[in-house]
Amino acid sequence: MRFQRAYLIGFALHFFLLVTVASRDFFAVLADGSSYLPAALEPRWRMLEDATFTVLGQKLPPNNLMRETIACYLHAAGIEAGYGYFAPNVPYSYKLVFQLTYPNGTTEYELPSVATTETGRRLPTLLDFIAANRYEPLRQLILKMLAYSVWQHHRDALRIRAVFGMVITPSIAGYTRGDEPSYAVVCAYDFGFTKTERSPP
Amino acid sequence: MNEWFFGGTTDNWLAALRIGLGLQLVLYCIVSRADWRQMFALQPGSFVTRDLTEALVTLGSTLVPRVSWFISAGEFIGLSEATVLSVVWSVLLAAGLCLVAGIFCRSAAIAAWFLHLSAIKSSALLSYGVDNFTSIGLFYLMLSPLPDHLALDSRWRKWPPKSSQLQSFWQRVLQLHLCVIYFFSGLTKLLGSGWWNGESLWRALTRPPFDMVPSEVLIHGKYLFIPLGLGICLLETSYPIFIWPRRTRLIWLVGIITMHGAIAVLMGLYLFGLIMAVLNIAAFGTHLFRRRAGKAI
Repeated sequence: MRFQRAYLIGFALHFFLLVTVASRDFFAVLADGSSYLPAALEPRWRMLEDATFTVLGQKLPPNNLMRETIACYLHAAGIEAGYGYFAPNVPYSYKLVFQLTYPNGTTEYELPSVATTETGRRLPTLLDFIAANRYEPLRQLILKMLAYSVWQHHRDALRIRAVFGMVITPSIAGYTRGDEPSYAVVCAYDFGFTKTERSPP
Repeated sequence: MNEWFFGGTTDNWLAALRIGLGLQLVLYCIVSRADWRQMFALQPGSFVTRDLTEALVTLGSTLVPRVSWFISAGEFIGLSEATVLSVVWSVLLAAGLCLVAGIFCRSAAIAAWFLHLSAIKSSALLSYGVDNFTSIGLFYLMLSPLPDHLALDSRWRKWPPKSSQLQSFWQRVLQLHLCVIYFFSGLTKLLGSGWWNGESLWRALTRPPFDMVPSEVLIHGKYLFIPLGLGICLLETSYPIFIWPRRTRLIWLVGIITMHGAIAVLMGLYLFGLIMAVLNIAAFGTHLFRRRAGKAI
């Protein structure tokens, strides 16, 4: 009987955290206005989202033991993120193209390359992260790393321009009309590397 | 409540979970072998260096396991980064194989959970749902009363069966977790207009790099996008209700597994499809198979 009670208490805590994290991400979707619910309700959703941050200890100082412990448990149990996959709507995808310029003026285009299809299916996570990231230096740093990995295979290139953009696929009606996918540039950076550079940027 | 959680059940569900997760890990290791070093090494030309990803992860908690821990430990005893990465990959593969066979179940489950968690956290910028769900499954597997009766451990060492009460408790935990997953997933989809007019389903299938089926083929089924999109939302949102009654369980289970099978085939997300099928079968499928087998007998 006593062991059963201990298991149930453990489960109650685990389940509470699970539902709180799922609710946090659910309220975040409602609060950012991407659903069709009235915009007037958004401050309330934001308030509820805020409450889940408090419950999960995310408002405590970064090195607080309680905050660290809860976050560590969430990661360990695989419940640190909610379950709003492809919701409320499926977002557009992103594309990264590298334009390599050589000393003789010729240019070449490269895409980020990985060895397997499976890793290729993981790339959208990285591209979505770059798109969602509003902190310019971090975005630039990630793109520079990716450009550097491309430069490793093209060490004669004088300059690499990383062009990050959104792929706008046509709607069902648009496709029926004959619309083609289009590409909208989000940002672009120029990077130059020298052959003496041996470590990642 | 005690009766519901601790009513007792067989360990068939645990066997399904163990074998399924073992298989998932083996496939994960095989498909990521070619990119393993590029994903985790700090060498020049690595895709996104491990230190950046780990720095982002540790913003949440410094206690989260990561590959750097193994690299540091390896360096301490004179092993190079490349060697440690190969060892981590090999041990993860071995843990997966042990889980499939049922050898050293508990140790293999703990090792698999820890190594897999470290790997996905150190490559968080390249992780997606499949890693999260594998992590969830391994966490429950590690805590569940292993070994099950189908494991080689039980047969070779002649261990007595583990408590049926604990078997039922951990199965209930997995069942309730799946209900939360599908409920929130379905509910959030219902809030987007794209799932009501078919656009979300169309975009999901035409979005690179998941556009396995050419658009000119998909467009022939354009009238199906609205009912299918709404069907997915309703199937997921009502999962916590209809997966429990015996009359509707088979319908919902087959519906959900079919949906994941379709995602696997049409979007190329095979590992994602496999892990979701494994979790669903372990949580709700083994009762059905047992009952059907019983009827047949």
